[in-house]
Amino acid sequence: MAKFNLFSEDSNKSPLARLWRKFKNNHPALVGLWVFIAFSLLAATAPFLAPYGVNQQHSDALLLPPSWNEMGDVRFILGTDDLGRDVLSRLMNGATYTFGLSVVAALITTVIGVLVGTFAGISKGIRSSFLNHLLDVTLSIPSLLLAIIIIAILGPGLMNTVWAIILALLPQFIHSIRNLIVDELGKDYVTAYRLDGASKWHILSRGIFPNVYEYIVVIFTMALSTAILDIAALGFLKLGAQPPTTEWGAILAENLGLIYLAPWTVALPGVLLFLAVLSTNLVGDGLRKVLQARKAD
Amino acid sequence: MILDYILRRLGLLFFMVLLLSIFTFSLSYLFPGDPLSNLSGIPDTNFTQNAQLEEKYLFNSNYFMQYIAFVGRILQGDWGMSFASGSSVFAHVVDLIPATLELSIYALFISVLVGVPVGILASAYNKQWPDKFISSTAMIGYSMPIFWLALLLIMVFSLKLGWFPMSGRVSLLYEIPASTGFILLDILLADFPYNGLAMLDALHHLTLPTIVLAMYPTTVLVRFTRESMLKVMDQNFIKTARAKGLTRGQLIIHHALRNALLPVIKQIGLQFSTLITLAMITEVIFSWPGIGRWLIDSIYQRDYPAIQGGLMAVSLFIIIATIMAELTYTLLDPLSRNQAHGKV
Repeated sequence: MAKFNLFSEDSNKSPLARLWRKFKNNHPALVGLWVFIAFSLLAATAPFLAPYGVNQQHSDALLLPPSWNEMGDVRFILGTDDLGRDVLSRLMNGATYTFGLSVVAALITTVIGVLVGTFAGISKGIRSSFLNHLLDVTLSIPSLLLAIIIIAILGPGLMNTVWAIILALLPQFIHSIRNLIVDELGKDYVTAYRLDGASKWHILSRGIFPNVYEYIVVIFTMALSTAILDIAALGFLKLGAQPPTTEWGAILAENLGLIYLAPWTVALPGVLLFLAVLSTNLVGDGLRKVLQARKAD
Repeated sequence: MILDYILRRLGLLFFMVLLLSIFTFSLSYLFPGDPLSNLSGIPDTNFTQNAQLEEKYLFNSNYFMQYIAFVGRILQGDWGMSFASGSSVFAHVVDLIPATLELSIYALFISVLVGVPVGILASAYNKQWPDKFISSTAMIGYSMPIFWLALLLIMVFSLKLGWFPMSGRVSLLYEIPASTGFILLDILLADFPYNGLAMLDALHHLTLPTIVLAMYPTTVLVRFTRESMLKVMDQNFIKTARAKGLTRGQLIIHHALRNALLPVIKQIGLQFSTLITLAMITEVIFSWPGIGRWLIDSIYQRDYPAIQGGLMAVSLFIIIATIMAELTYTLLDPLSRNQAHGKV
């Protein structure tokens, strides 16, 4: 619907600059972006930053509470677990597994999803119908259940979890990409481009992708938050990463028996998990809102 | 027109069930181990037993005949034996599924009861403090890993305050005969002197798992209802109504709600599948004797017939629920029927 602009000021900035300008004004999303970048850096550099080794045991310091507690020790800022391992170091290294592997899984999903989704979007007739029905079946099964099925076939383990999550995320991803492409194909500028004699490849690469890649980023953030939750959930169910791997869900499951004795060993991995998912969701939500707002003006 | 649509959906249902059954059948070959014992659930067979089983499962003919035999056995309720318990998988599934359904249905009920009105409230005060408060709370709930939420609630309400028990369906003091499998119904049906106390105890046991399970769908519904309402409120007929001088309450109740709640109905149906998956985690944490916990235990124990049966039962429920949700939605919203052709 047309909206009247009271002050008709031309904005000739590039779409990306306008996007960033709007995104900057959305403070929660901006904070989310900073946290997201911090997690990415942590995931890449955790082994160098962590004060102690992941499996280094301190037999003189078992079950120390965090250092702000009276019983705590400043050597171990977030305390230690029942084997005397530094919780902070373990949690920092956990970022590599939970967050880093989720990013990798979501990226692989994006590559495959964009390829297959585009193919599904431009294909017609029986091939398209078959693909859609196949997607319908797998779409109605939630990603976590699908991942559990795949784990049941492959057997528990961290790498199997990553494959399972990639496969489980794909149907949703392909579906979203396909809808994007189909929507875009129906627009007038594509018809005009086609009438000019552009080939299919040209229409896709020059016409459609420059218009949808920002939406692909939004879909990527949704896939990422699901991937983090699923990887941690599978680790928690002891189907994914196995102790002593420092995946956050696995740490949670490992310390479950200490919940009464040392609640911080259970609460802290959860806090990080929550922050990682929250920051991803904030960035995705912010981006979606900004894209809507840019479309409107 | 509508009949055509229903037929189309039923066709889709048939197609999905067909694919599901083919997948389940192929699982016995995909799983490690001997396909025959994966199908039958009898691990170590001697020669005569083996010959009998091969005959029963048509193992000497081609895959197609084996599949036909498989479907026949599924329909008869012969789902093989569990490796772990040695008893029929079908009996396990029938025993366990009511507990999961009970939990999921209560959680869905609560999430609709809370989520939809709160979403409407947020949209009514768009960009004012109630909306900001509700939206950010929903965002937090949406990002919360469910197992961590469960542990936090257990830490506070079970360990610190001692208000609610942390595992099981009902205290061991009460022996409830299982007739329907739904604990509250069973207590109502069972006729013994401490009925009221048992009911109270069962409700106590239900509280924490239901809250945990309801959290995610509630936040999804809040966000979805809010967005759906805002989309409708932005349309021209609402502006016309406002120009006529209607109050905000009249506007929302008479004009916006009907149009905004239709997609919400579809969303509610779609939540069911998420609920059943999340119920698996909730059941593991709260030791709830449902199908999810059993399925995960089966994976630990490499109990392949049980995994197969459990997956089939859960997926079947999800598929049927999804199709039912779509059908209800279409019956209520005539506009959506026209889009049925060639669209997903």
